[in-house]
Amino acid sequence: MRFLIYRYNPEKDEAPYMQEYELKDVRSDMMLLEALLKLKEYDETLSFRRSCGEGVCGSDSMNINGKNGLACITPLSSLEEPVEVRPLPGAPVIRDLVIDMDTFYKQYRATKPYLMTKEPLPEVEFKQAPKERDRLDGLYECILCGCCSMSCPSFWWNPDKYLGPAALLQVSRFLEDSRDQMAEERLSNLDGPYKLFRCHTVMNCVDVCPKGLNPAQAIGHIKKKMLKHSL
Amino acid sequence: MNTLMHGLRAWVIQRVSAVYLALFTVYLFFHFTFHPPADFSAWQLWLSEPWVFIAIALFFIAVLLHAWVGVRDVIIDYVHPVWLRFSVLTLAVISLLVMGVWFGRVLLGVTS
Repeated sequence: MRFLIYRYNPEKDEAPYMQEYELKDVRSDMMLLEALLKLKEYDETLSFRRSCGEGVCGSDSMNINGKNGLACITPLSSLEEPVEVRPLPGAPVIRDLVIDMDTFYKQYRATKPYLMTKEPLPEVEFKQAPKERDRLDGLYECILCGCCSMSCPSFWWNPDKYLGPAALLQVSRFLEDSRDQMAEERLSNLDGPYKLFRCHTVMNCVDVCPKGLNPAQAIGHIKKKMLKHSL
Repeated sequence: MNTLMHGLRAWVIQRVSAVYLALFTVYLFFHFTFHPPADFSAWQLWLSEPWVFIAIALFFIAVLLHAWVGVRDVIIDYVHPVWLRFSVLTLAVISLLVMGVWFGRVLLGVTS
């Protein structure tokens, strides 16, 4: 099977280039990550992030044949040859497929992704009815792989000012949480034309999310909540 | 809550104007398909009906507001140097205002 892989070592290379690889012992049930690991056996300079290999940690997000996804859950049988593998677009490349995700994490941190209360915390566990818990489904599963934000044109143009789909999904996750009491503050924090309103519902985020989540819908819910609060 | 309206207001204006533009365009399409004005005086008569006059004036105000939010969005997205953004935004405001005045003159000219 033929692979075209983005290579760039800023210490040695003047410019990035695409390197061709040929892998002979390919099984039909192999995932792309397994193929990359095999290629690394032949060429140990090839760099990429990976950890769990099961689509849970979100480390091996990359651009596969033009679409962002996780290498560990992308079957080789679903890919056309030559398989073009590039780093996630829109972020500085550290080396080969490894990108600098600082801005992405900065935006995530800015959403204060934890429960905040005004009243003192209960002495026993924080109770939630099953129905209230159900409202978190489709929001809490995010693994922060960055596939969505790095496929969002608005995030490409304004990564320092627009929160991006991944961070906004987290805003929605805490707005929907019955235990969180800072909805007003969370909404005010999205003030201005940038943080939330750079979303133009392009919906690339929905298209690429390896966990099948829907950040665009979550953003729609945030906008509705904001409207309600302002009336 | 006032500061919250910053991004929200633009978004609401965009949505509300879009709904009005869509509905009124459909109305205009059917109106001109089934009741096309026979001549210029019929056209003038139709326009001088107060509700038509107001609806069309609102239509163009909606066009200008919708265009303003859209153009502003594109400029915020793509034009980053402050001086260039300021110039392009100013240019956009001036052209929209000129169009507004031009439209006002046309509407008043037809009905007077």
